[in-house]
Amino acid sequence: MTLWFVFALMTVAAIFAVLWPLSRSSSAKGGGSETAVYKDQLAEIDRDVAAGLIGVAEAEAARVEIGRRLLAAAEGERDLPSGANLGLRRASAILALIGLPIAAVTFYLSLGSPRLGDFPLASRVRTADANQPIENMVAQVEAHLEKNPTDGRGWTVLAPVLARLGRFDDAVRAYRNAINYAGDSAERRSDLGEVLAGAAGGVVTAEAKAEFERAVAQNADEPKANYFLGLAAEQDGRQADAAAIWQGMLAKAPADAPWRPLLQSALARVGAPAAPAVSGDAMAAAKDMNEDDRNAMIRGMVDRLATRLKQNGDDVEGWLRLVRAYMVMGERDKAVSTLTEARQAVGSDAERLRQLNDGLKKLGLDG
Amino acid sequence: MIAEAGHYALVLALALALIQSTVPIAGARWGDHALMNVARSTALAQLLFVGASFTALTMLHVVSDFSVVNVFENSHSAKPLLYKITGVWGNHEGSMLLWVLILALFGGLVAAFGNNLPLSLRAHVLAVQGWIAGAFYLFILVTSNPFQRIASPPIEGRDLNPVLQDIGLAVHPPMLYLGYVGFSISFSFAVAALIEGRIDAAWARWVRPWTLMAWIFLTLGIAMGSYWAYYELGWGGWWFWDPVENASLMPWLAGTALLHSAVVMEKRNALKVWTILLSILTFSLSLLGTFLVRSGVLTSVHAFATDPARGVFILLILCLFIGGSLSLYAWRASTLKQGGLFAPISREGALVLNNLFLTSACATVFIGTLYPLALEVLTGDKISVGAPFFNLTFGPLFVPLLLAVPFGPLLAWKRGDLFGAAQRLTAAGVVGLVAIAVLFAWTHGGATLAPLAIGLAVFVIAGAITDLAERIGLFRVPFTSAIARARGLPRATWGTVFAHAGMGVALIGIVCETTWNSEYIGTMKPNDVATVAGYQLKLDEITQRQGPNFREMIAQFTVRDGETLQVMTPSKRNFTTRGSSTTEAALLTRGASQLYISLGDTNADGAIAVRIYHKPLVLLIWWGPVLMAFGGLLSLSDRRLRVGAPKPAKAARALQPAE
Amino acid sequence: MTRKQRRLTMIGGSLAVLAVAAGLVLNAMRDSIVFFSTPTMAAEKQIPTGKRFRLGGLVQPGSLVKGDNLAVNFSIADGSAALPVAYKGILPDLFREGQGVIAEGALDASGVFKADTVLAKHDETYMPKDVADALKKQGHWKDDYAKQGTTAAQAQGTIQGTTK
Repeated sequence: MTLWFVFALMTVAAIFAVLWPLSRSSSAKGGGSETAVYKDQLAEIDRDVAAGLIGVAEAEAARVEIGRRLLAAAEGERDLPSGANLGLRRASAILALIGLPIAAVTFYLSLGSPRLGDFPLASRVRTADANQPIENMVAQVEAHLEKNPTDGRGWTVLAPVLARLGRFDDAVRAYRNAINYAGDSAERRSDLGEVLAGAAGGVVTAEAKAEFERAVAQNADEPKANYFLGLAAEQDGRQADAAAIWQGMLAKAPADAPWRPLLQSALARVGAPAAPAVSGDAMAAAKDMNEDDRNAMIRGMVDRLATRLKQNGDDVEGWLRLVRAYMVMGERDKAVSTLTEARQAVGSDAERLRQLNDGLKKLGLDG
Repeated sequence: MIAEAGHYALVLALALALIQSTVPIAGARWGDHALMNVARSTALAQLLFVGASFTALTMLHVVSDFSVVNVFENSHSAKPLLYKITGVWGNHEGSMLLWVLILALFGGLVAAFGNNLPLSLRAHVLAVQGWIAGAFYLFILVTSNPFQRIASPPIEGRDLNPVLQDIGLAVHPPMLYLGYVGFSISFSFAVAALIEGRIDAAWARWVRPWTLMAWIFLTLGIAMGSYWAYYELGWGGWWFWDPVENASLMPWLAGTALLHSAVVMEKRNALKVWTILLSILTFSLSLLGTFLVRSGVLTSVHAFATDPARGVFILLILCLFIGGSLSLYAWRASTLKQGGLFAPISREGALVLNNLFLTSACATVFIGTLYPLALEVLTGDKISVGAPFFNLTFGPLFVPLLLAVPFGPLLAWKRGDLFGAAQRLTAAGVVGLVAIAVLFAWTHGGATLAPLAIGLAVFVIAGAITDLAERIGLFRVPFTSAIARARGLPRATWGTVFAHAGMGVALIGIVCETTWNSEYIGTMKPNDVATVAGYQLKLDEITQRQGPNFREMIAQFTVRDGETLQVMTPSKRNFTTRGSSTTEAALLTRGASQLYISLGDTNADGAIAVRIYHKPLVLLIWWGPVLMAFGGLLSLSDRRLRVGAPKPAKAARALQPAE
Repeated sequence: MTRKQRRLTMIGGSLAVLAVAAGLVLNAMRDSIVFFSTPTMAAEKQIPTGKRFRLGGLVQPGSLVKGDNLAVNFSIADGSAALPVAYKGILPDLFREGQGVIAEGALDASGVFKADTVLAKHDETYMPKDVADALKKQGHWKDDYAKQGTTAAQAQGTIQGTTK
């Protein structure tokens, strides 16, 4: 309530700024004029002559010159119109009284979040209650590590959380620090490799591969490293090598290893196309299709999503997903038009609209 | 509530700007004083609201309210208070808010202190300011709103970038903005004059303080930015011809030309149309500078906002204002009355020459900055235009300009006596020649250009002093009366002397630094000694230190110059969490020269890579601009009204026109 | 002098200065413009020995060799070609293997790029624009070179979520 009171006060002040000069009588002739400047200049010359700064002859020449300008200026000033225009004044007053508040409030309401209070840091309790978003706890750990960068255990705890949050670049750094301060191990190396691949959108880069190789060097049976080395081979087009690596793993794996199904489906992908290829992990499969097939598949999914949203536009998350998908596919125009559609679809609900705008800002598509 | 109040204040400022840009013009059209006076109160109210908005943002940064996106992205609760505050304009949104705050400040100043202006002129000027302000409020609110909120605020902010936590970086953008935005006033005056269709010497009198103020800030801002790059980036370079630096240099060159042509206009009522054009160009170049920095269209170390939507919006503003004002100029300039006559050899002629060279130099910088961009758009070729290009174009244009500088103030208005001026400059010329001869003898067979350039600089300084001596009649009248005359001399004259001498001082620094700069680059182990320019630098020890959020490797050097002992401690900081490092150079000042050490990596065997520079007279590079700005300040404080009287044919030589 | 003569003198003087300025610009354009090139483009164009240009790409991981007295050798790669670079001096703080970098210099007789300036990206998310564009154009812009990687991965994840 206070907020609206403050807004009202500010609006009144703004209106007053416009109305005040209008209310004053126009007879008072304010402001300077050119003639005043030239008259001052004439006086200046007299003073300079008196002080001996310029010669008499020069002063005379200057006086003539200024006199000429003075005449010209006086002539120009005479034909200036002057007078009160009551109609215009009334129009301006109405503009200030009605137009200004309406324009300001409409504009503000479309941009601002009047229902959101202040959140200064000091007044917020820094405890990890259950409702607190995970990002906040991560931030606390990060703040702790900023001050104690050699806390290897802290890095070890933080890294997988960062990876799950999709902050792969930060996770990479966290794993590197964990390795530095908490000791090198095959698991950490393969975790590092995994986030490196994650940062690269699932592609096992040369850098990631190097980490897996280091992990395998430490422990030849490290399952994650081996799996990813196989994946690297597959991505390089060496299907046979990939199959060999995975088959070797499968042969050595204990019967209850949780990653057996993953290996089997991966093997099916490269080795026996007849086997049920598409696992629940559709996108992992898409990665191995050729370019055209993959595009067709993605497009199919995107189109389905678009159709669904056309029928029911309330789903803010869905809209964001769609916009993001278009941006990833490099179709910025479509992303922008979707954005407009999304705004129209949720426009009736201020809360949803704000969520949408927040999300868009995170995508770098504010505007 | 603070965030929302700040947001609403900004919206109100936009609404007021819209009223300010229309109502007063209607008032001036029909001669209604009250309507014209609306400009004044709205300009002041605008300043109030933008000020409130900026204060709100600053408070949000201070209390670390991370529910505001801008604070969340650019602040961190662990930042020192000072950098929380300077962080307000260390980012795109905040710096744009500062931009409009300064714009509103200048508008408010005109409203508050423009009592000597004719009503209609003031109304028009403020209305034009209203257009500019309105466009930029809209830009901020729509594309870079600093008051965007997050519904579920995160507990910690994102940014603790160590490189940006520096006081130089904190002060230099506001300075530059004061300069850039200050030129908006001359622009508004020019457009107002075009609208009114009337312009005369009084106009120049009214614009002068505003142009001067902007010019002073821009001069200091550029110098400060250059010094920051010098000590913070660790390369020892002070000017890189980087597009962003060029973006600030172009308005400075045009603004300097404007200052000089406005003098002609004020005193002699000539060059009116040209002055108007320069006013428009200067501010256009300032807008272009904002565009280049803000849109990130150019590859540049400064590009911290790369967002096409913003770029397009600013480009639109740019086209609208530059295109609009130039069309207005083309349409109305012919209606302006022609000014006074003068001979080519005269003070006016000298100032025209100055304008020619400054604008040509500005044009070459413009081409060098934008040509790569145009080429990339047209042919797809990528090129880089670096220092060699500018040295080959900018340098040769400045030589004749500097040669002419001492002559200008010695020539009389309307028709001058070049021979007489040359005679009076004999002493200065001799001093310059002696400097060249001494330097040649001293460096025997070294660089040939450097002594010549220094001779030129000495000539400029001696010329400025000659001008002063001539005016006060030093050595011709008794000493006491010369002192008395010096006191009575208009402060603007003193300003000219300082500003011109500052030019020479800066040139000496530039030439010395680039020619006789000596460096040592190599690896050193403890107890190794490096010898640079006669100084022995011994690496005593390398120590490690744990800072609040970084590890620091400090190298301690003992500097020996015969007997003198000094200790220098350059360091390298490693910010583990961010995985970044910064180099803290160590500087040792001896007179105007400096020793400069920055550290590189450590080798496996414990040796450390070091860069040691000796930069002779390097500080003069920045003392020069400071002198120039001081000259500007003196001139600004001169409240006298000035008129340039032509010298009557038979006037006594002994008495020079004292302005 | 009449008014007309004066005006002609002024215009003549202005034109002379402008002509000089234009001449200087054209002259400088011929001599001091430095072209940007990637290793692939450098191989295709067969840039002559000694001609200065800017070489941009990624520092090939594993190629960095530090010699005596600050001599450094590394390779700049763009995905399909790599070029060995020799540099003497201190590398920028942000120089790392696998990162975008621009070197300025010329090729020597043995086909090694002798750099006298090396510029590295200046913050964690900045990739020299020239490098990014060139890599994209050649189709070597994999997601692993920049932040886009994360968003791509997220997008894949989210699309997947909708189809389930």
